[in-house]
Amino acid sequence: MQIERDTRGAELGPNQYEDAEGYIAPLPAGYGPRSNPLGAFPTGPEVGEYLPDVVAVNSEGSTVDLHIDREGKPAVLVFTRSAVW
Amino acid sequence: MVDFEAAGAKLYVLSYDEVDALADYKQAHGATFTLLSDPHSEVIRSFGILNTTIAEDDHPWHGIPYPGVYVTDGEGIITQKFFENNFTVRPGAEQLVAAVKGEDVLLAERPATDQEVEVEVEFEGNDLPVGITRQIVARFSVPKGMHLYQEPVPEGLVAASIELDDEAEGIVSYTLVAPETQPHTLGTDGHTLEVYEGNPVLRLPIAQNGRAITKDDDGRWVSVSGRVRWQACNDETCLVPDEKAFSFRVPSAFTVMADMGPGEGRVPSMNGATHFKKMTDRRKTAS
Repeated sequence: MQIERDTRGAELGPNQYEDAEGYIAPLPAGYGPRSNPLGAFPTGPEVGEYLPDVVAVNSEGSTVDLHIDREGKPAVLVFTRSAVW
Repeated sequence: MVDFEAAGAKLYVLSYDEVDALADYKQAHGATFTLLSDPHSEVIRSFGILNTTIAEDDHPWHGIPYPGVYVTDGEGIITQKFFENNFTVRPGAEQLVAAVKGEDVLLAERPATDQEVEVEVEFEGNDLPVGITRQIVARFSVPKGMHLYQEPVPEGLVAASIELDDEAEGIVSYTLVAPETQPHTLGTDGHTLEVYEGNPVLRLPIAQNGRAITKDDDGRWVSVSGRVRWQACNDETCLVPDEKAFSFRVPSAFTVMADMGPGEGRVPSMNGATHFKKMTDRRKTAS
């Protein structure tokens, strides 16, 4: 699936760019980290499906297997862009 | 902070950051949830949500996902997911906790027949930062034998809805989250409509893009106003349409976003610039 970048928006002033929904940021819409998909885009497994395995290293350096770690409890899994920038 | 633990759920936040960056983040923000590091975007790819609009040579942004949230039940089955085109918009914690709990089960007894529909309108949350979704929640109490309509309805009937005032500049509203409906066949022409019975809860997710903020000596504020509309009917007849206005004024707290250094709303710093340089260097070496 070829995903298009949403470049709609307007320059309001120095380092002030508004996107199609009116959010203002220092970068134009569609530039670098401000690359939002336009229209339909993949959102992974669907509601009703088993959450795929997630095995990754946590902030303490230990490997975590989400389905084992949640110990039979509901899980909320957030995919975020970066904790750094 | 809304308590995921109290709701019986565990919270995981995964990003393409290095382990030591996550450790700094955790310390700087006192995070109690599990931070997961996916520096090669392997998990992100396995979910099929790598942001492919960013070219591989576009350091260091390549490798990020289309951000979103999955909520599972105790069996690990996905019960709800939240993805928006605009990354600025993220579901608020109240919304996720509501998702963990599933549809609201109100313990209040239903009013007896012939009583009026009651509705309580609430802004769920204590503030409305830029881009974070909160919900306007309308909790109906529909007397036995009566029902409310879901959109779409034929002319002359009013569906249950939450509407914002037109002049609410800077407030962005999303698709109404509604409970399950029952099919209801009209006696007059055999038309079948979807109706709510009992104690339905409608939720309107909203966010603000920064223009809704007003400032005074006490801080920054956001006002949201509108009305909940409905029309109650039983099998034979309908009452006149009704509505209840709402108006909420809440603080517009800062959103913790890029943490590259000190600045307004960016405390405590986690030395993001150092991690960013490492990230950039590694990606240049890797290609």
